[in-house]
Amino acid sequence: MTSTLPAVTTPKVPAQRTAVPETRSTARTNPSKRLRSSRSDLLLCGALLVAILVVQGWNISDYPTLSDDEGTYLAQAWAVQEGRGLAHYTYWYDHPPLGWIQIALLTWIPAALSPESMTVGSMRAAMLVISAVSAVLVYVLGRRLSLPRWAAGLGMVLFGLSPLSVVLQREIFLDNLAVMWTLLAFALAASPSRHLWHHFGAGMAAATAVLTKETMLFVLPAVFVTMWRHSHRDTRKFALTGAVTACALIGLAYPLFALLKGEMFPGDGHVSLWDGIKYQMTRPGSGFILDQGSGSHGVLRSWLYYDRVLILGGLAGALLLLFTWRWSVTARALAGPSFAVAILALVAMRPNGYLPAMYVIQALPFLALVLAGGTASVAHAALRRWRSEGEHRYLTGGRYALAAVLAISAGAYVVPRWYDGDRTAVTADANAPYQAASKWLSTEVADPKDTRVLVDDALWLDLVHAGYEPGLGVIWFYKADLDPAVTKTMPRGWKDLDYVVASPTVRRDAVDLPNVKAAIEHSTPVAVFGSGEDRIEIRQIQTASGGVR
Amino acid sequence: MGIWGDLLLTSVFISAVSLALFWMAAFTLWWQMHAWRTPEVLASTRFSRPDGDEHVSFSLLLPARHEQAVLDHTIQRLLESTHTDFEIIVIVGHDDPETTEVAEKAAARDPRVRVVVDTHEKKNKPKAMNTALPHCRGDVVGVFDAEDQVHPELLAHVDHAFRTTGADVVQGGVQLINFHSSWYSLRNCLEYFFWFRSRLHLHAQKGFIPLGGNTVFVRTDVLREADGWDPNCLAEDCDLGVRLSSVGKKVVVAYDSDMVTKEETPGSLMSLLKQRTRWNQGFLQVYRKKDWKQLPTFGQRLLARYTLMTPFMQAFTGLIIPLNIAIAVFLDVSVSVAFITFLPAVTALVTFVFEIVGLHDFGKQYGLRVRFVHYVKLVVGGPFYQVLLAGAAVRAVWREQRGQNDWELTSHVGAHLTDAEVTRDLREDVPA
Repeated sequence: MTSTLPAVTTPKVPAQRTAVPETRSTARTNPSKRLRSSRSDLLLCGALLVAILVVQGWNISDYPTLSDDEGTYLAQAWAVQEGRGLAHYTYWYDHPPLGWIQIALLTWIPAALSPESMTVGSMRAAMLVISAVSAVLVYVLGRRLSLPRWAAGLGMVLFGLSPLSVVLQREIFLDNLAVMWTLLAFALAASPSRHLWHHFGAGMAAATAVLTKETMLFVLPAVFVTMWRHSHRDTRKFALTGAVTACALIGLAYPLFALLKGEMFPGDGHVSLWDGIKYQMTRPGSGFILDQGSGSHGVLRSWLYYDRVLILGGLAGALLLLFTWRWSVTARALAGPSFAVAILALVAMRPNGYLPAMYVIQALPFLALVLAGGTASVAHAALRRWRSEGEHRYLTGGRYALAAVLAISAGAYVVPRWYDGDRTAVTADANAPYQAASKWLSTEVADPKDTRVLVDDALWLDLVHAGYEPGLGVIWFYKADLDPAVTKTMPRGWKDLDYVVASPTVRRDAVDLPNVKAAIEHSTPVAVFGSGEDRIEIRQIQTASGGVR
Repeated sequence: MGIWGDLLLTSVFISAVSLALFWMAAFTLWWQMHAWRTPEVLASTRFSRPDGDEHVSFSLLLPARHEQAVLDHTIQRLLESTHTDFEIIVIVGHDDPETTEVAEKAAARDPRVRVVVDTHEKKNKPKAMNTALPHCRGDVVGVFDAEDQVHPELLAHVDHAFRTTGADVVQGGVQLINFHSSWYSLRNCLEYFFWFRSRLHLHAQKGFIPLGGNTVFVRTDVLREADGWDPNCLAEDCDLGVRLSSVGKKVVVAYDSDMVTKEETPGSLMSLLKQRTRWNQGFLQVYRKKDWKQLPTFGQRLLARYTLMTPFMQAFTGLIIPLNIAIAVFLDVSVSVAFITFLPAVTALVTFVFEIVGLHDFGKQYGLRVRFVHYVKLVVGGPFYQVLLAGAAVRAVWREQRGQNDWELTSHVGAHLTDAEVTRDLREDVPA
């Protein structure tokens, strides 16, 4: 539901020019040695991982603002854990369910130990596991694509510490899980042993990624390209067919599931996969991304607000690698990630497509890798290209001086911006109003069990734990208009409700939801937390006679 | 309990069966694809290039029975071998004057050819070869069939393999080649392709191997120590491999597409069925002889048990998969159970796809033109071939139960020979 990231401002900053160069050796370390047994790889990767986990984990529940989508997925994961099916409302094929089934597994043990912890804020911690695995996979993939150690490390840092990544990877989004599976698919596709079953596994991981978040379909051609490049001529046809078959068969499990449930095609009285797909394909477009004032442009600005280095630098890196394809070894090695960036960029440029804020998540690892690869290319050009055995000492010194200047200027540009962004991430408290609202509804309402309240998805689980009846007592606000199973229980419309929690999301979407709109109009705030646009109001419904229900 | 209890029981039962079948099929697939696991494995399945040195002398056994039409051609081709130290021992029956005449003529022309006459009343291939074994003078005994096309450089490669690997047994590749003859010969060829190209190498690596019936080379002393071939076993080649590997003899398998011995598929569906019945029955006999129980590790014994039982499990799988899908679709089982029942079909599908790729590779390796219609035949013929295999498996069990141990001969037309139109009876010995 969220269309832009919170806290957008529009500072005018000139576009980032080119990739960030570094000074150290460009000697291409041979990646054929097992990474597991390479001490320097383990140390570097381990140290970066700790840094990433600290920055991403610190203050994770208070920043960024709880998103409606996080609430949706976590609530559905909760429904899976509770054995209530794939969702606590009718599952309607909005997304394949594998994503929140994984979230359910991931949060199973903490939820079993302490059921109250199953709320968006506290369960964000589970996303650290995903971030950690993904970050390590970025490093492994970088190494497998022949990046030197420092460049693979740079890719991991770009992926894990960019303020944009920190904000998005903290949130319980299906895209983050899908990214992990996609990275696994890439890493297996680039397996140095070129084992048939690694390629088969890559196909399975790619299918899992698509079943976690269907938009990963766009990246599949890039996985294929990577596999093509890394397979051996003699075994290629078996490897590639194996991978494609594995991917297709697992992907077909989803329609098979719908078929077995008798919900493949539309019919009276039941949801269907067909309708779900139709809904996703016909979502109203958000305009052209470069068209000032369009929704898509707003989304782009919200990304650039958090970090322009990764996005613009990554795009520049992809362009550089695609243009230097003929001369640069690095460019050819990074064909897969550059291709992925190119596809995702083209898809985002559709004239009037729907561009959700999370879209960029799936591009993050590839942007990071191509930016690191572009940097390695530039470093190589500065230090090694056209360098002869007997090159004059001054000229060699000049090369290092140039590289140093480039590295220092890049650092001078990036570090302060990232420092600011990441400092906000580890210190800001964006969710105090939510927590206060949750506390108020848990303590100030006399009889939660018989109280009906409209909330946005992010607060829903809090209220379930506070004793409200899941589904019909505490209601996802839009279900009051869109789900027949809920509207059936509200014959008198808004009059059958007690409270509505008007968060920014609820106020924004109420425009198109008559019941929600009426509930807001016929209610008065009894508690307000925060101020301005971001405030959360708890509004009590007033019946015509002037009293409460 | 009631209906709900019955349904639960059904669900548990078909889930268990489906999972078992899934793992079986998955392992079979895993092993079938052994050679293509990595480029390095694929490279290691080939003969290494001979260095020109020769140390091993060969005695090549050539059992022939009513094969006067092709025998001379085969002998001539064997004599063209580049290796310098070998003898050919043609084994003929005392009741087969036509073949004997051809053999004697060849012996008169070239001193490297000798003739041994088998006088057993009831004849079969192991008895014939045991008759010739005392006459062998070479360090290594090699076995060929009378219709085999043998590559002239094969012996030099085998010599090299013996010397460089210290092997007791070297198994070369055998390949059915006439895939265009009929829908079943297409599948039959592909079975050989996967078996000799890939699966046998896995067996050699694991130390348990059912040998093929020809292009197999054994050190003479090792063979004599093992008392030759078992005259009462319907799959004496498989049995020999099992006995030798069970006592720890080293077996090396090598496959080169230009070095394989080319053969033809049985000429009719019925003879294929008979041939397959005999192999299956032979496998059963080998299983019941229990030589494989001497294998040192549990894993090897499990592989032996599994490999020897494969034809019967294959038959079972072929019947269960459609039944399972029917249950999933028509019975009111839960969605998760229905999913599990689809698992064996999934592995079957993956196997299908790899077979298509295998057919493409087969065509490439042998420079044969595989047309679209052949791929169609491969796919459409799949279920029917499965029925044939199941039939052969059932028939084998039936015959073994009734104690019918006689040889059902396989009739061949020289479809792989470009210059000969021959019809004759002989037997086919390679378990696939």
